[in-house]
Amino acid sequence: MLKIIIPTIMLMPLTWLSKKNMIWINTTTYSLLISLISLSLLNQPSNNSLNFSLMFFSDPLSAPLLVLTTWLLPLMLMASQHHLSKEPLTRKKLYITMLTMLQTFLIMTFTATELISFYILFEATLVPTLIIITRWGNQTERLNAGLYFLFYTLMGSLPLLVALISIQNLTGSLNFLLIQYWNQALPDSWSNIFLWLACMMAFMVKMPLYGLHLWLPKAHVEAPIAGSMVLAAILLKLGGYGMLRITTMLNPQTSFMAYPFLMLSLWGMIMTSSICLRQTDLKSLIAYSSVSHMALVIVAVLIQTPWSYMGATALMIAHGLTSSMLFCLANSNYERTHSRTMILARGLQTLLPLMAAWWLLASLTNLALPPSINLIGELFVVMSSFSWSNITIILMGANITITALYSLYMLITTQRGKYTHHINSIKPSFTRENALMALHMTPLLLLSLNPKIILGFTY
Amino acid sequence: MNPLIFTTILMTVLLGTMIVMMSSHWLMIWIGFEMNLLAIIPILMKKYNPRTMEASTKYFLTQATASMLLMMAIIINLMHSGQWTITKVFNPTASIIMTSALAMKLGLTPFHFWVPEVTQGISLTSGLILLTWQKLAPMSILYQISPSINLNILLTMAVLSILVGGWGGLNQTQLRKIMAYSSIAHMGWMTAVLVYNPTLTMLNMLIYIMMTLTMFMLFIHSSSTTTLSLSHTWNKTPLITTLILITLLSMGGLPPLSGFMPKWMIIQELTKNSSIILPTLMAIMALLNLYFYMRLTYSTSLTMFPSTNNMKMKWQFETKRITLLPPLIVMSSLLLPLTPMLSILD
Repeated sequence: MLKIIIPTIMLMPLTWLSKKNMIWINTTTYSLLISLISLSLLNQPSNNSLNFSLMFFSDPLSAPLLVLTTWLLPLMLMASQHHLSKEPLTRKKLYITMLTMLQTFLIMTFTATELISFYILFEATLVPTLIIITRWGNQTERLNAGLYFLFYTLMGSLPLLVALISIQNLTGSLNFLLIQYWNQALPDSWSNIFLWLACMMAFMVKMPLYGLHLWLPKAHVEAPIAGSMVLAAILLKLGGYGMLRITTMLNPQTSFMAYPFLMLSLWGMIMTSSICLRQTDLKSLIAYSSVSHMALVIVAVLIQTPWSYMGATALMIAHGLTSSMLFCLANSNYERTHSRTMILARGLQTLLPLMAAWWLLASLTNLALPPSINLIGELFVVMSSFSWSNITIILMGANITITALYSLYMLITTQRGKYTHHINSIKPSFTRENALMALHMTPLLLLSLNPKIILGFTY
Repeated sequence: MNPLIFTTILMTVLLGTMIVMMSSHWLMIWIGFEMNLLAIIPILMKKYNPRTMEASTKYFLTQATASMLLMMAIIINLMHSGQWTITKVFNPTASIIMTSALAMKLGLTPFHFWVPEVTQGISLTSGLILLTWQKLAPMSILYQISPSINLNILLTMAVLSILVGGWGGLNQTQLRKIMAYSSIAHMGWMTAVLVYNPTLTMLNMLIYIMMTLTMFMLFIHSSSTTTLSLSHTWNKTPLITTLILITLLSMGGLPPLSGFMPKWMIIQELTKNSSIILPTLMAIMALLNLYFYMRLTYSTSLTMFPSTNNMKMKWQFETKRITLLPPLIVMSSLLLPLTPMLSILD
């Protein structure tokens, strides 16, 4: 694992020592090379995990997330080039350093064995993200957004620290590989109910769960493009990954403790999808769509069946790529019109036809069109929730319909129809932007040929 | 002040604390405290104006009261044990009185009212000495009597201190008052774990002193005492803004910076001793502290405060050279990976 971590850390001296016209080239190239190294981890020979050391391991759940993380850094760097072009050199280097630091912490989080180490790195990802949102966001609301983001997550995760330490006292070790074999049922008591809550709330806030999701639209909308990309694609999946890891220790309370959260998620996915239909702000629409997809992941994780775990993992990867792509597309609009209002830039298909093709593909994968991996994820989750309780099919079906509705609404509003008269002077699509979209879409389409690598450890 | 006299007075302060920390006779400890108190008054009054006089008077009155209470506890202890050596305190009354006296010296709730006012009235360097060096002596006595302290009183004072330190600092814009409330909250954390594992109190003290030293030196470097003047540092020394950001986040206890280490260790020790609600409560209340640190970072490093056009062409005297600043900054932010080295403290 050091073969990925040390090069990522070394990206920081690389940015500071590069010449002015080489910083973007150097960092993007080397981060692409690092993501090639991480691809070798996808070769998971058995259900057992690959252990690299006492501190890092990789298993069929964390490998796809790791590959997604390393794949996303060059994409983030490519997406940020335009809005940073007018900044002084030191600030560009600071921005890239923040992204690289975040990347390092994320890689270490996804591969940590010890749960306290996972916790420390989980919290550590907050600091660079906060700095990116607050320092480089564009509107005054970003201050509030940063505070909401930091404090929601910290309020949820401090009880997690206490819970992890008390579990360590009880069982003697928090090394994840050991706990898999030592697992015994938690005795039924009030304090164990609070332990369950303490363990799960941090990840619920991160996912986010419907009632605790207020930080997400703020943070996603106010963040610059790289911040939005990494938030949507990876940081939300940290919550999902944490939940998947920690629910193995929390039986049998999960069978009854999960009910309120299942209700909130099932209802929340419908609510947030419906809110998407009424949004005027493009980034806000994509942010709420993230909440809706993540609610499906929460349902899947709490049901705890093999199929639902497969669906959760596939959905996380698929949503990561799709959501990040949608944010890049919204950003390409924003860079041209400096406004996130959807109706201000309509009919773009006439002006930017190739970008319209990417918009179409992104919207189609967002609404889970077969045979994309989005569909595989959603389908597995719908099937397993149907087997858990027949009635949920109504809510799931309604959600799929409303998702289709708002994805098509977004597509039609921005691409079709007559173009507005004031946007006939926008710049044509840059090659960089087309490359960015292609690099998002290609893994998504290729994975539909072999989805078993992202189906997680219950395949 | 005449350098010779200043050196003598400073040495007396140091000597006073050393006497407190190294004596085994209760009377010598009391003498050490008095020496410390008398010698630090001129240091607090380095600038001669009514504000400083008021602050020094408040400090003197509270500390003298605390010394008197300490003397009473010593005498009661003498009465019940018949000897002057410091071991544990033999009588619960004496223990309670001694704990209150030391809490008054440290600035724990409910004896915290002097800390913001005194810190605000004195210069930045004197405030630095007040909030770091002066805490060493009472803490060392608490460490030595820790087996016999009444747990209820100490924990109540600790939790209330964390609350007061958090809530009190929320409405402040003066940097010295912010540091004072942060000191109250950190003292709360330190005393909470005193009965369970005094080594962690010392660890917390060490890291707190490092971080407070760093913060004060950064303030001295930019000669700023209010949030507004701190927000001009991007103009004077842009690097300082980044360092202020890092150090403030470390004081707030965010991983992966070293300020997280004492909090983590304290939570671990408290949880090992089967108190679970207490560390959760303490950790959540530390978020209040984090909020006003974040507000400081917002105005300093992360945004640009509204300023006039003159600000962009500011002239200034030659930059002060603060020798110890780089190592202090490194230590106050990057020590977390060295946590396994804590085993040497045993």
